[in-house]
Amino acid sequence: MLRYSFELAALGLRRFPKSTVLVVLTAALGLAACMTTLTLLHVLSADPLPGRSQNLYLAWVDTVLAKPSNAGADIMAMNGFKTNNYHTIKLADAQALLAAHRAAQQSVVVDVVADEVSDDGRHAQNQQMVLATTSDFIPMFGVALRYGRDWTPAEDAARAPVAVIDTDLAQKLFGTPNAVGKSVRLKKTLFRVVGVIQPYVLQPHFYALSGGDYSSDGGENLYVPYAAALDAGLAPYTTDGCDDARHGKFGDAPDPAHCAVLGLWVQLDTPQQVAAYRTYLQNYVEQQKDLGSFGKPPRSELTGVAEWMKQNNVVPDSVRLNVWLAASFLLLCMVNVAGLLAARFLRRSGDVGVRRALGAPRRAVFLQHVLESGLACLVGGVLALPLTWLGLWILRQQSSDFAGLAHLDPAMFGSLFALALAVGVLVGLLPAWRMSRVEPGLQVKGE
Amino acid sequence: MSIRILFSSLRRNSLMPSLVLLQVALACAILCNVLFLAWQQMEPMLAPSGVDGNDLILVDGLDAPDRAWTAAEVQAGTDALRTVPGVRAASAALGLPMVVSFVNMRAFRGPTGAAVGVNVYEGYDLLDTLGLQLVSGRNFLPGEYRDLNSEQGKGVPEPVIITQSLARQLFGDASPLGQVLHSPEETKGPGSVVVGVVRHLLRNRMNVATDGRADDTVLTPERVATSPWLAYAVRVDPAMREAALRGVRKAIESQFDSLLPVGSKPKAESYAARRDKVFKSRRATLELFAGVALTVVIVTVIGIMGLTGFWVQKRTRQIGIRRALGARRIDILRYFLAENALIVGIGVVLGMTLAYFGNAWLMRYYELPRLPWTWLPLGALLMLLLGQLAVLSPALRAARVPPVVATRSV
Repeated sequence: MLRYSFELAALGLRRFPKSTVLVVLTAALGLAACMTTLTLLHVLSADPLPGRSQNLYLAWVDTVLAKPSNAGADIMAMNGFKTNNYHTIKLADAQALLAAHRAAQQSVVVDVVADEVSDDGRHAQNQQMVLATTSDFIPMFGVALRYGRDWTPAEDAARAPVAVIDTDLAQKLFGTPNAVGKSVRLKKTLFRVVGVIQPYVLQPHFYALSGGDYSSDGGENLYVPYAAALDAGLAPYTTDGCDDARHGKFGDAPDPAHCAVLGLWVQLDTPQQVAAYRTYLQNYVEQQKDLGSFGKPPRSELTGVAEWMKQNNVVPDSVRLNVWLAASFLLLCMVNVAGLLAARFLRRSGDVGVRRALGAPRRAVFLQHVLESGLACLVGGVLALPLTWLGLWILRQQSSDFAGLAHLDPAMFGSLFALALAVGVLVGLLPAWRMSRVEPGLQVKGE
Repeated sequence: MSIRILFSSLRRNSLMPSLVLLQVALACAILCNVLFLAWQQMEPMLAPSGVDGNDLILVDGLDAPDRAWTAAEVQAGTDALRTVPGVRAASAALGLPMVVSFVNMRAFRGPTGAAVGVNVYEGYDLLDTLGLQLVSGRNFLPGEYRDLNSEQGKGVPEPVIITQSLARQLFGDASPLGQVLHSPEETKGPGSVVVGVVRHLLRNRMNVATDGRADDTVLTPERVATSPWLAYAVRVDPAMREAALRGVRKAIESQFDSLLPVGSKPKAESYAARRDKVFKSRRATLELFAGVALTVVIVTVIGIMGLTGFWVQKRTRQIGIRRALGARRIDILRYFLAENALIVGIGVVLGMTLAYFGNAWLMRYYELPRLPWTWLPLGALLMLLLGQLAVLSPALRAARVPPVVATRSV
């Protein structure tokens, strides 16, 4: 029976070609709009580091000796800026927490901006994002080394001016991807290249959100030990706050000794480790004597990657809103298609009446019409594919820092057809049910 | 023809009308929201800038992250620009309209109790260089200017020039001249005293240049000094625009190239070119919204036409009977137009409710401006017009049905 119904459905589609085209086009438009926005949401909210991110936590202790003040934040908010607390900490706390070694792996993370100049002074990349971190970063975040080695904890401790660069930068500065042994000048210090990595671009750029939620221009292309970076005078550009005594002057770079600028990421593999680290952090902050005498409650937080991205609204609201907008548009298209189908089905009431009079059960009539609608929407789904590509292309033309990421992946490709089929069956239900109610006698008499 | 006949006819065969109704409701809700979102993008573009932009050149990209420009260096730059042939005035500034790379902000609370976030343009004689229109009060006096980041003028109220819109928000109908403004969190201290009011001055934080906030801008009498950032506004002779622009570029290059970090590129462009770039992404978004709105309209019109066309065809016999009983063509046409208006009318009421509550619901979860209720009738009116347009062709076809159809047994 299924096969017969199927044949009837295919035949039905060919009967009123004009209205079939309308049905298919409308379905395709709705599906494409929905898929375009869903694809963007899917890309932006994907796990940035599958397999690792669930074990990474941002550790934060609030030891800034300043009364919490909303004055600046209020003015920012009134002018449409959101102020984020990036959960950064001061230098002394970072050093103490690193030295305690309470986590499997741990790294300090801070972005600085610098001009990168080759040792012969002939090639330069200006105003680049440089990641100042510790030796654990590369294994912890799964960065792939191409040549040479990672720097060692000993070099971290010795504040050695060493660097790891990516192959793109190596090519630009030295004309070869294998730049191990060469040096890069940042400010006045020469950093010796000990390793070359594959370009490492995480989307979202969750480990240092102050440098932008998404690495639209390719992220950091050079890593250096943070201690050596500070020695070289490379200064971070944003801070979560400075001690009252040392309020940075307008335009001055924040001083890490007195300003919260460093992010501390730790890797904790089991829930027990997480709980233990949380307790340790709270104990640490409670032991800070300065803080007690300053009269600030001891606060610490340990935040996982997913939670951290949610807290910071990494996926922009507008992207979610667009999904709602597109979903309601799809709904509109579905009602439209249901109406068009009902109209074309009802035109055939006579045929159905005859079929019913000859003994076709309601079930068969229903099945035939649902199949016809499903088939129409599936064709719509095929047509929606180029339309989705077009939609994503249009999105990429929008100038936001994440727009470039809007590409269709196989998972979304598959879900497009699943969605098309679901939509087809759903919109077919009402008209098909209406058809299965056609009374055989009445129709035959009417004719 | 009474509305009761219309209703009873609709009730007897309710599948088609209810589908049309549902479509109209959804389309109305979507259109209201999309048009409002598009308006939000458009508002800053439509807001008057207050600036005489035809003969204005803006220079920025003079950022010296590792040092701060001294007063002497800034002045030397100004002097160099003033000697360029075709240049009438040049002002060093921090914060300029259409220069979005540097946003200077503050907040004021006025006697009306309203706290307003404002963008500040600091610089020497910006009023004249930008070509602003003073509506009351005066420009800053030469003696009122102070060096930025210095102790000059501490303890005395700082003179400010505000916009008309800001004056209304902060002082209501009272005269703003001579009044003292404070920032919302500190009511003590010398504050700022209003010395002048300009007609318009567009802020450079564009995201909040909506809902009547586009003109929330103030001028302060400051000479740029000890600042890592710097920009210039240059007024030129209309007859020498091109030559002046080239001259300005050359002057900036010779004055600052040796002082700037390697690879920095100062930008000197006409106001119009700047404006174009600033609004580029807004235009792209606007085109997107326009596309969405147009698609919604097309889909809805096609839907209504398709459904009504079929429904009219099904009633050909009844139409024939009515015609045979003496109904004129215009009666038939009117009947279908009225029927459509009724269905669409119910649909838009539903749609407006949907739009309003949909927006309110989304506002709970996302950062979204409230949809003002004034937008609802707009969407409704649009839908009613579209409905009538869509039904016109099927209704005309119905009106052409000859009375003789009644005698046939189709």
